[in-house]
Amino acid sequence: MSLDSNIPSGPLHEKWQNYLDRTKLVNPANKRKYTVIVVGTGLAGGSAAASLAELGYNVKAFCIQDSPRRAHSIAAQGGINAAKNYPHDGDTIWRLFYDTVKGGDYRSREANVYRLATISNNIIDQCVAQGVPFAREYGGLLANRSFGGAQVSRTFYARGQTGQQLLLGAYQALERQVDAGKVEMLPRREMLDLVVVDGRARGIITRNLVTGELERHAGDAVLLCTGGYGNAYFLSTNAKNSNVTAAWRCHRRGAYFANPCFTQIHPTCIPVSGHYQSKLTLMSESLRNDGRVWVPQDSSDDRPANQIPEGERDYYLERRYPSFGNLVPRDVASRAAKQVCDAGRGVGATGQAVYLDFADAIGRLGKSTIEERYGNLFEMYERITGENPYEVPMRIYPAVHYTMGGLWVDYDLMSTIPGLFVLGEANFSDHGANRLGASALMQGLADGYFVISATLGNYIASMEDDSLNASDTAFDEPEKAARDRIERLLGVGGSKTVTEYHRELGRIMWDQVGMSRSKDGLEEALSSIRKLREEYWNNVLVPGRKDTLNKNLEFAGRVADFLELGELMAQDALQREESCGAHFREEYQTAEGEALRRDDDFSYVAAWEFSGDLSAPNLHKEELDFEAVELTTRSYK
Amino acid sequence: MANKDNNGKPGLWSAMTSPIGKKLLTGLTGLGWVLFVILHMAGNLGYFGAGEAYNEYTEALMSLGPLLYLIETLLVAGLVIHVVAGVNIYLGKRRARKQGYEQYESAGRPSRQSLSSRSMIVTGIVLLVFLVIHINTFKFGPGIAEGYAVTVGGEEIRDLKRLVTEKFQNPLYAFGYTGVMLLLGFHLRHGIWSAFQSLGAMNRRLTPLVYAVGTVLAIGIVLGFLVLPLYIFFAA
Amino acid sequence: MAETMTIHLKVWRQAGPDADGRLVDYTLDSVNSDMSFLEMLDVLNEDLIKQGEDPVEFDNDCREGICGSCGLIVGGIAHGPMKATAICQLHMRHYNDGDTIVVEPFRAEAFPIVKDLVVDRAAFDRIIAAGGYVSVSTGGAPDANAIPVPKDDADEAFDFAACIGCGACVASCPNSSASLFTGAKIAHLADMPQGKVERKRRVVRMVDQMEAEGFGDCSNHGECEAVCPKGISIDAIAKMRREYVRALFG
Ligand SMILES: Cc1cc2nc3c(=O)[nH]c(=O)nc-3n(C[C@H](O)[C@H](O)[C@H](O)COP(=O)(O)OP(=O)(O)OC[C@H]3O[C@@H](n4cnc5c(N)ncnc54)[C@H](O)[C@@H]3O)c2cc1C
Ligand code: HEM
Ligand code: HEM
Ligand code: SF4
Ligand code: F3S
Ligand code: FES
Repeated sequence: MSLDSNIPSGPLHEKWQNYLDRTKLVNPANKRKYTVIVVGTGLAGGSAAASLAELGYNVKAFCIQDSPRRAHSIAAQGGINAAKNYPHDGDTIWRLFYDTVKGGDYRSREANVYRLATISNNIIDQCVAQGVPFAREYGGLLANRSFGGAQVSRTFYARGQTGQQLLLGAYQALERQVDAGKVEMLPRREMLDLVVVDGRARGIITRNLVTGELERHAGDAVLLCTGGYGNAYFLSTNAKNSNVTAAWRCHRRGAYFANPCFTQIHPTCIPVSGHYQSKLTLMSESLRNDGRVWVPQDSSDDRPANQIPEGERDYYLERRYPSFGNLVPRDVASRAAKQVCDAGRGVGATGQAVYLDFADAIGRLGKSTIEERYGNLFEMYERITGENPYEVPMRIYPAVHYTMGGLWVDYDLMSTIPGLFVLGEANFSDHGANRLGASALMQGLADGYFVISATLGNYIASMEDDSLNASDTAFDEPEKAARDRIERLLGVGGSKTVTEYHRELGRIMWDQVGMSRSKDGLEEALSSIRKLREEYWNNVLVPGRKDTLNKNLEFAGRVADFLELGELMAQDALQREESCGAHFREEYQTAEGEALRRDDDFSYVAAWEFSGDLSAPNLHKEELDFEAVELTTRSYK
Repeated sequence: MANKDNNGKPGLWSAMTSPIGKKLLTGLTGLGWVLFVILHMAGNLGYFGAGEAYNEYTEALMSLGPLLYLIETLLVAGLVIHVVAGVNIYLGKRRARKQGYEQYESAGRPSRQSLSSRSMIVTGIVLLVFLVIHINTFKFGPGIAEGYAVTVGGEEIRDLKRLVTEKFQNPLYAFGYTGVMLLLGFHLRHGIWSAFQSLGAMNRRLTPLVYAVGTVLAIGIVLGFLVLPLYIFFAA
Repeated sequence: MAETMTIHLKVWRQAGPDADGRLVDYTLDSVNSDMSFLEMLDVLNEDLIKQGEDPVEFDNDCREGICGSCGLIVGGIAHGPMKATAICQLHMRHYNDGDTIVVEPFRAEAFPIVKDLVVDRAAFDRIIAAGGYVSVSTGGAPDANAIPVPKDDADEAFDFAACIGCGACVASCPNSSASLFTGAKIAHLADMPQGKVERKRRVVRMVDQMEAEGFGDCSNHGECEAVCPKGISIDAIAKMRREYVRALFG
């Protein structure tokens, strides 16, 4: 099967308008005959479910948590980008588009990104109309800040809780449709399989997480809005329930998985404190505006930070990148931290941390200014570590944060299975090899509020009217497969817990498929993951029963899928013999240790097809054409 | 179920039986009673006035005629509403959590939870019983016909002062009243600020102030009431 | 510096909604003071699984105090002893070696127990569905800067909008009242010009729904504010009452 990205014709800035002009519409009276299944109620799913219900479709929405309001999007802190140019600092749709393509290190699709930048402004309008309390200036107009090294101020924010406020806006719109009877909300449900009938996505199998019952749901299209898979690394900044299961089950049913190895690692997280660590906490990147990153010069130096004299400290980012210093992009900062820690110069009990020191800034600006700027972050740090960052330098370390890869979709956000649409972090579409700060929220809401309503209509309008009932025999096999898997997991009765396996997988992924990758390491990872997966199915210990709430059983299924995905991630990293964005292959670097992109050979999207054999997936390439932007090499020297 | 057709204005009855309405009612009636109690307390202090001042004052009150009836009707109606709403809130609370906690603590400030906030229903019911006895004792107690009379300016009026004096010489009354007045203090310590909050009159800056003033007022009312029985019992 | 301590737990175990529950004693003898409270429960669960017992079920997700999934009564207080802290943000360094900690679920008839420490808070969603939104369908919004909002109003609205829907207010309230949760949403939207249009209908319907769910009424105990992980003030409740009076007479 060839990959057709279905990009509309015309010049870049007219493509979306052309699409809208020509797309097929569904008669309003007919919309209520169609049922749309929306899996996930984060920014992408919540906004999609609400918008489609407003248009008249019957929507069935699902989420794992007890309420749609709790999706992982709630945790996003920093902000959301839009090309409003309210500060009058020269921002345009083109610039937002360009920054996003460049930030993604030229591994994203121009047409999609341009559409995203165009829609960004409508998102802000919509959210403000919903009553989202964005930060404002004294004059009552919206405030902006600059974020992630952009040269313009285009980030809208709501204190440090932008994701929360945006999600609550979408959630409230969703609940309004629940009240109107247009959305049936089914929380505490986990999608375990996709039902494909005549090559089209027509339903899903879910497990009711309270009663354990397997349920069948039929619909005319399925929207997968299930978020990212960063938890493949066990430790990440993602919420505990974030998982790949829904996407992976679709992959096994025929949806291609694109660029799985593109994983963003965020440089400023609170380091691991011990074996029991269950997840990691992100601290805003803005800390690097005033904090200085350093480690002792001597790896045997174990004096407390304050006793190490200036001359014996290595401010390695300032040293290596004199012009950007502590403000180099996420991937560069993360990798540099790993390098000094690998060299034994890391600090703290585990040696897996570097200092982020505010002593200079406090001396220069005064404690009160620092408190004003970062007070809440300092407080959060102290809450978690018990150390006061006004007195001792913070300890930070990179952590897995976001996954740019995801199910392959065309311009319509449709996967390789007709009728299966993928929105938000779950798809691969807009961020290439690296995502810029404040653009995931933008993408999730663009997909959900504005793109899907048009593209779904286009699909539905060309569908033949053949209503399908959930009692159809097409649901039998997927339901049975889901049941068998659950029974198999419960039946192993081994000796190691799900968490132990997950932690082990995380270690392999972090060490070999993390910030810096090599051929040898990846090959080793492939074989360790296979071994671990085999062991898992023979020795995992899943407690309890299937017919009650049983979180360990839920996790057992998710870890089983991570064990399969992990292998694909390693395979993808192995085939991509270049360094680009967040993907750094040790073999492909410049003499100075910087990433070496190989545009001639790797300017493509790697879309993987499940072949039946996990170790031999089929690779399809979608070549990327850059008409509008010129490919350049990043430099932060 | 939320009323689907509801487009804003609730009916008066459904509004007043709603969670908000019930509190508006307890608050309004409670404050009305607080006002009465303050005036009543001040009137009682007339006992210490020279000669027949106290008896003349109560006589003056009695001669208000229809106005007095109006006030009394308002008080009774207010009390009925107050009690019905208060008891209803209490029963609702009982229904809302059937199984209690094995361990429960207050988290401390800014919580306003206290012994007095938790015991409103108890102190309230004691006050209700007290009021029945109290009014029976004094208002409907022995009057001119029973010989409790004095002549002031040629007119025979009720000698309430004697009745009061006699009653509070009885330790049962003196100490019974002392106990009830303390409970009244408890009721008002939470009640006064709470009534303002129920009426929506509070905000972050006002709350601590009104809470403090309410507490002082509650103590003042208790002390104001207590001087009379205790003075009579110990000094007279 | 991290230290190791012994902690005694008394945890509410209940097999299902209709089953009888009781406190069960557990002792953990290597609790690291840098652990979070939930990580301590993770450690307990790993032990239980290995001993062939059912682990303790408890809701959690973000583990950074924003999703509102977690919620336990710890030592008699919703979200434990620390102010403005969800239980997932509490760290064991605030306890001493040898302490005994009672852990119970949020209790209210409107929050039926699902299993162990997990409760069903769907009533909150239904309260929001009754009117906790601005009725603007996607697409028709005017330019975001068309309506200026005074900064103070936006800031105050944010204070109320910060609610994470955890339910601690209900759990700690002697009356099991949902007034802080409901009031917070009403107050948030009443502070914004966008929300003012539907203010009357909103407050009446949300209050009706709150009552229909079987929450108690608010007697102004103020316990809710003290346990709220976002420190939401009971001003929200006063404001809800004002909004109601406005709907009635305005
Ligand atoms: C700590 C942190 C901070 C961030 N800050 C920012 C920021 O400042 N700006 C920015 O732009 N981006 C930020 N991001 C990234 C951004 O938050 C996410 O990429 C985005 O919110 C993802 O939204 P989503 O709707 O795709 O998925 P999610 O919000 O993850 O939602 C997934 C939904 O799918 C459901 N689900 C998952 N699997 C299943 C299943 N099998 N069955 C049923 N339901 C399922 C879940 O219940 C949930 O409802 C941040 C991320 C993190 C981790
Ligand atoms: C006579 C029997 C009485 C009963 C049974 C009673 C009962 C109650 C109860 C149960 C409450 C709490 C309501 C709630 O939980 O929200 C309450 C509140 C209050 N009571 Fe009483 N009470 C009585 C008399 C009085 C009297 C005599 C006064 C004044 C002198 C008074 C003043 C108040 C005030 C100010 C409040 C606070 C109202 C509010 O929070 O809105 N009460 N009462
Ligand atoms: C030491 C305390 C008190 C004393 C000495 C006292 C004394 C009296 C007296 C003498 C009367 C009779 C007045 C008359 O018939 O004209 C009276 C009436 C009354 N008292 Fe008190 N009282 C006390 C406390 C209270 C309290 C605490 C309350 C309310 C909570 C209260 C409520 C009333 C009421 C409602 C009447 C009837 C008024 C009327 O209808 O005219 N009293 N009291
Ligand atoms: S008001 Fe506070 S305690 Fe109540 S649900 Fe919201 S965040 Fe939780
Ligand atoms: S604790 Fe309860 S009584 Fe009211 S002020 Fe808070 S809801
Ligand atoms: S787990 Fe999200 S708030 Fe505690």
